[in-house]
Amino acid sequence: MLTPLLRVILPILLCVGLLGCWEWSVAYWSIPSFVLPPPSAILAVFISDGVSLLHSAWITLGTTLMAFVLAVISGVALAVLFASSRLAEALLSPYAVTLQVTPVVAIAPLILVWVGLDRAWLAVLILAWIVAFFPVLASATAGLKAVDPNLRDLFRLYHAGFWQTLRRLQIPSSLPYLLSGIKTAGGLALVGAVVAEFAAASGNTSGLAWRILEAGNRLQIAKMFAALLLLALMGIVIYAILSVIEWLLLHRWHGDRRNNS
Amino acid sequence: MSHDLRLERLAKTFPNGTAALHDLSAEIDSGAFFSLLGSSGCGKSTVLRLIAGLDVPTHGRVVWPQGLARLGFIFQEPTLMAWASAICNVALPLELAGVPVRDARARAAEALAQVGLSGFTTALPRELSGGMQMRVSIARALVAQPQVLLMDEPFAALDELTRGRLNDDLLRLWSECRFSVIFVTHSVFEAVYLSQRILILSARPGRLLADIQNPVPSPRTPEVRLLPVFNATARDILAILEDRVTC
Ligand SMILES: Nc1ncnc2c1ncn2[C@@H]1O[C@H](COP(=O)(O)OP(=O)(O)O)[C@@H](O)[C@H]1O
Ligand SMILES: [Mg+2]
Repeated sequence: MLTPLLRVILPILLCVGLLGCWEWSVAYWSIPSFVLPPPSAILAVFISDGVSLLHSAWITLGTTLMAFVLAVISGVALAVLFASSRLAEALLSPYAVTLQVTPVVAIAPLILVWVGLDRAWLAVLILAWIVAFFPVLASATAGLKAVDPNLRDLFRLYHAGFWQTLRRLQIPSSLPYLLSGIKTAGGLALVGAVVAEFAAASGNTSGLAWRILEAGNRLQIAKMFAALLLLALMGIVIYAILSVIEWLLLHRWHGDRRNNS
Repeated sequence: MSHDLRLERLAKTFPNGTAALHDLSAEIDSGAFFSLLGSSGCGKSTVLRLIAGLDVPTHGRVVWPQGLARLGFIFQEPTLMAWASAICNVALPLELAGVPVRDARARAAEALAQVGLSGFTTALPRELSGGMQMRVSIARALVAQPQVLLMDEPFAALDELTRGRLNDDLLRLWSECRFSVIFVTHSVFEAVYLSQRILILSARPGRLLADIQNPVPSPRTPEVRLLPVFNATARDILAILEDRVTC
């Protein structure tokens, strides 16, 4: 019923309509701009402070991506270690869980003291990594546990080595699990980076969170909105990119079963 | 006659206390077609796993007088890598052994042709029927030129017609390639149709009830099922099985 064109146009129309209502209501009821700035004021901020906002966004994005990559590598590595050694799993998984259930905001001051206030960016990176790490570990562990035991036996029968088994069996077989964990981790890395920036709140971390705090202190609500918008945009883009990667990797293998020839 | 393999008083009790197998001895001649027949849960799969070295016996041992043979293993399910095409699945044993990819693929294509799937090299497992998946599984076992082929109820999940065809194809491949087969089944007729010798296991824990030299003449074609000797043998085996199950 919905043609592809309408599917694109309708949401845009709705968005434009909502923005129009917003602009009109603010003017009609004379809402002060430190409560709710009109869209035009937010746009104006983008024009006047766009460069510095983008610079902050760039810093937050950098932290997010680094934390994400670290989380994927360390999460998968630890999951593989757990899968190949029961002992390692029994010894280490309590710490992983402890790290996960302790609120990151509560750990932040400690990490900050440890790495030194002059290296707040490192603290932010570590905190974002801690947040993003767990979904990768959990999904990779679940994926590795779900490997067909008969296939595992087959690999043993043909004397497959550790790396052969990892590359040809464990990774591809657990990929659907892993990718869903990675998608979650992408979003969480951003959340972690922003929360950590808040927690570390100092001029040293000039990411978007800091700009939001700063704008809030000065009652520059339009600027807050602009920064929030950038954050939301980053989150959406990260999620979209990871979804596309997931589709590219899995659609052939897991494709629609009804398409069978 | 020389033998590939000797089972010496094999017994297996699992860590949870399940006694799956009790005191099984047998000699497997090289190039022969053996069936291991028994009701479900009597330890047939356990025997194959012990032979393949995938599990260790609690007592007894598996002896390879001429050294460990090259093994092929076919499971009840096709057990294919869902993300890999038929040819990649078949080439796996060769590539794991370090055969260059190009050679491995060429030999895999030959093996697929042997099982009648030359037109399906790039198909993914989910694009193939159950019978065809099982053929890929057979090709994967054949590609490494096994001396002993271990088959664990390979056709039990297939429909009657497909099963019949695969039985005949298996006999053809066996007569061409001359590996020994240890074929696990719970179907008396399948065992009588396929094998030269039939080892009958009791209910759990599996013990050897009888070791039958199959009198049905070779070559086995669908017509031998109509011979009186076929039915007589099947009846004898059923009697042995039921005798023990009921008492
Ligand atoms: N890893 C295991 N741990 C405990 N019990 C097992 C295990 N594997 C098989 N068994 C038990 O051993 C018995 C024989 O199993 P199996 O060899 O698979 O029988 P079959 O293949 O003849 O059906 C069954 O009762 C089964 O439940
Ligand atoms: Mg079994």
